[in-house]
Amino acid sequence: MHRWPVPLLWLLAALGCGWIVLTTPVAADLTLFASRADPVAELLLDQLRSGPTTRLILLGLAGGAETERAAVSQRLAERLQAGDGFARVANGADALSETELRALFAHRYRLSPTVAPERFTVDGLRAGLRQRLAELQSPLAVFQKRWLAGDPTGELLNLLKQWQGGLREPVKRLGVWFSPDSDRALLLVETRASGYDLAAQREAVTTIRAAFAAAGAETGVRLEMSGPGVLATLAADAIHAQAEFLSALALAAVVLILLLVYRSARTVWLGALPMLAALLAGAAAVDLMFGKMYLITLAFSMTLLGETLDYPTYLFSHRRAAETVTDTLRQLWPTLRLCMATTMLGCLAMLDADFPGLSQLGVFTVAGIAAAMATTRWLLPALLPSTWTPPRPTAIGPWADRALQPRPRLALALGGCGLLALLALIVKAPPLWENDLAALSPVPRELMRLDQELRAALGAPEVGHLIAVTAPDAETALRHGETIAAYLDDRRREGLLAGYDGAMRYLPSAWTQEQRLAALPEAATLTANLDAALEGLPFKPGLFAPFLDAVAAARAAPPLRPEDLRGTLLGTRVSALLFPGARGWTALLPLSGVRDARALAAGLPQVQSSQAYYLDLRAETNRLVAGFREATLVRLAWGVALIVAVVWLGLRSWRGVAAALLPVGLALVFTVAALLALGERLSLFHLVSLLLVLGVGVDYGLFFSRPDADPELRRRTLHALLVCCGSALTVFGMLSLSALPALRAIGLTVSLGVAASFIAALVAARPLLTKMS
Amino acid sequence: MRYWIWLPLACWPLVGMADDAALAQVMRALAAVPAVEATFREEKTLAVLDAPLVATGVLYYRAPDFLRKRTLRPQAEDYEADGHWLTVETPDAGRRQFDLNGYPQLRPFVEAIRAAQAGDQAALERYYQLEFQGTSAAWSLRLTPRAADAQRYVAAIVLRGRNGRIDSMETLEPNGDRGLMTITPR
Repeated sequence: MHRWPVPLLWLLAALGCGWIVLTTPVAADLTLFASRADPVAELLLDQLRSGPTTRLILLGLAGGAETERAAVSQRLAERLQAGDGFARVANGADALSETELRALFAHRYRLSPTVAPERFTVDGLRAGLRQRLAELQSPLAVFQKRWLAGDPTGELLNLLKQWQGGLREPVKRLGVWFSPDSDRALLLVETRASGYDLAAQREAVTTIRAAFAAAGAETGVRLEMSGPGVLATLAADAIHAQAEFLSALALAAVVLILLLVYRSARTVWLGALPMLAALLAGAAAVDLMFGKMYLITLAFSMTLLGETLDYPTYLFSHRRAAETVTDTLRQLWPTLRLCMATTMLGCLAMLDADFPGLSQLGVFTVAGIAAAMATTRWLLPALLPSTWTPPRPTAIGPWADRALQPRPRLALALGGCGLLALLALIVKAPPLWENDLAALSPVPRELMRLDQELRAALGAPEVGHLIAVTAPDAETALRHGETIAAYLDDRRREGLLAGYDGAMRYLPSAWTQEQRLAALPEAATLTANLDAALEGLPFKPGLFAPFLDAVAAARAAPPLRPEDLRGTLLGTRVSALLFPGARGWTALLPLSGVRDARALAAGLPQVQSSQAYYLDLRAETNRLVAGFREATLVRLAWGVALIVAVVWLGLRSWRGVAAALLPVGLALVFTVAALLALGERLSLFHLVSLLLVLGVGVDYGLFFSRPDADPELRRRTLHALLVCCGSALTVFGMLSLSALPALRAIGLTVSLGVAASFIAALVAARPLLTKMS
Repeated sequence: MRYWIWLPLACWPLVGMADDAALAQVMRALAAVPAVEATFREEKTLAVLDAPLVATGVLYYRAPDFLRKRTLRPQAEDYEADGHWLTVETPDAGRRQFDLNGYPQLRPFVEAIRAAQAGDQAALERYYQLEFQGTSAAWSLRLTPRAADAQRYVAAIVLRGRNGRIDSMETLEPNGDRGLMTITPR
């Protein structure tokens, strides 16, 4: 009965880890790629997480008649505006309601860009009055007449012009936005939640679909949707569906293989325990050390820990009737221990204080391998019946013996091929790395195209380019924003960009507001000026009393601050573009139609107390990923050095080291060459898969180069490795058939690498060991 | 003795029919006009002004949907409606083009005179309730906007004319402002 303490302890540990894992959040963002010492990266990731451009949802209404599309657009907008899930719903129909128009009118002397002293002198007022008189003549006067008495200088009109400028507006037909070819009615929706808050985005998408179902009922109109949040939701769904389907299929296949080979259900679930332990322990260790786990760490670590599935197989295939389970393990232990130690040390090198993502990967793998090691060493012997042996490893005798024959010439040829491939790689130096994250996006191409079409038609700011200003307070940020706006106006005239948006367009800095209010004369002067200006003009006496009152009131009122605008449309627009953060305030200026990013960034005006950054989100993200990869590669080099050292410590022979490690080196060269020949470019997914290949390949090399003379034992080793390699090929071969670039990358790399490692180790390990002696 | 009381009642439908017939006749006469070139004088009486505002200029029309109103005095302004495009040219704002489809609130104002001159009764009825008075030789047509949005700006537009010729257009606004444009062919 002394067998039970171990399983009980294991179960307790597993439950403990499970509890930790369940209570720690998983973060689905890109911050793991960022180095902690990179200020731009922080801004950038803030933007990627929650920037206004990530919160846009672009809607297209296609099909049906044009009038139907317009009517559905109107009904849909009304429905969406009625709810409170969206910060903005715009379809081009009069964007300003009566109350908002009145609010703008009330603040006209602070918000209008044309308020200046010369407009309130006798001559200025007279010019304004003449212009108003001319407007009264016009057939369009009916729309403007009501503002006349309060606004003889026409500030409201100038203010509205300012509002409509900036980012280009789409074409209007039947009162709502349409694509230029009029095939689609267009709407722009801004969610309150971040584009990377997948749950909230999913809810937004559902809300929109439901609203459309009601608004578009009994018409031929279809709804098209795009935007970062929508694409992310779709991507997550696509990955889920595919990954679930493929892993279910792969699991079934592996179970079938194990059942066929070992003819025992118990080995199947026992074989899964080390992997289970590894995942639980790894996740718990990361959670404890970092407080949160990145989704992508989880995915990468699960890939890396695939190696732990091999450990029980080594044990099962080496079982012999004559010995106890512990004896078998004891015999295997030096090699198995080395297998685990190499992977652990290789990953230990990943611990990097600057890159939280890389550190998480390291911690996860080290803890996971340790747990798998303990499980294999202590739990499996406790649970595996001492009478169980695999049904027929010896039956493959003659064939295995032939396969195991040392073939020095073949080994030499293989080595030669490897050298040639390496030379070719160095000489031809094909583009090795895929830096563009988008190339790995699981979003189907046609959706990406739809996104671009809708974006172009709506003139929506690309997620791509924006200027971010960080300042200690909102006022400084706004003032710097105003300086940049002046700069951008000049560049726009030169054609470097099509337009920009920014908080200062809607809410000028308090300083600018003061300047404007200072332009307003005091009551007596203004009255005198107005009376003089009215001389000879046909306006009724006393008509402009509201104007005199409004100017007096404006002069007395304090400036408008961002916090005064809460709950208004103006406030919504401003708070998306100007918001407080951990380190003061950030103001954003999204750009559209950028022609020359470099020139724009080069001349960006800086002021003393705040910082302006030009962010090309795509380029910056790609730069982050490249930086992350560089760091990984450097770490990997250290890892390889550690692996060499530990194998030497374990084997105490350079020949042994060569026999264990050269085959996997060869296999990696072949794999990379084959991937490039297949037209792949290496991404992070490939790189992580290569790490798994390294881990597994070292195991193969270590096992094939075990210096046993006993042919029977070597047959069992071959049996074990065949099972390992076979199941790995099955699982990852299936992944490589996936249409999702990331899954395909992992599947292709690992199946190629595992096959190459197996062949290289089988052919080269023994000759290396014997030839050199 | 009592029969005469019933006579007007009996005639009511006939009166209506007579109006409908006359309206149709006027519309046919207007539709038959291929082009018009005329001078206009517009007098606006506004609550905000002491004196009426007077403007003069030239009108051009070409069937079925080209209309240009060129104000020459007191300052130059040019409005041109061609199909669904409205082009506005003023000295201070320069030349701007609007798609009338994108500004549905402008459409009734353009159609009041353009569709009338084109004899397009269906287009008029889309935006206005029509009230015809007189005979085809001397008629008046009162247009009352259907849309609540348009009613905020215009109470009614009254067109007066003789056969296929529009002599004047009077615009009545809810606040009492009114504008009278008299048209004289050249």
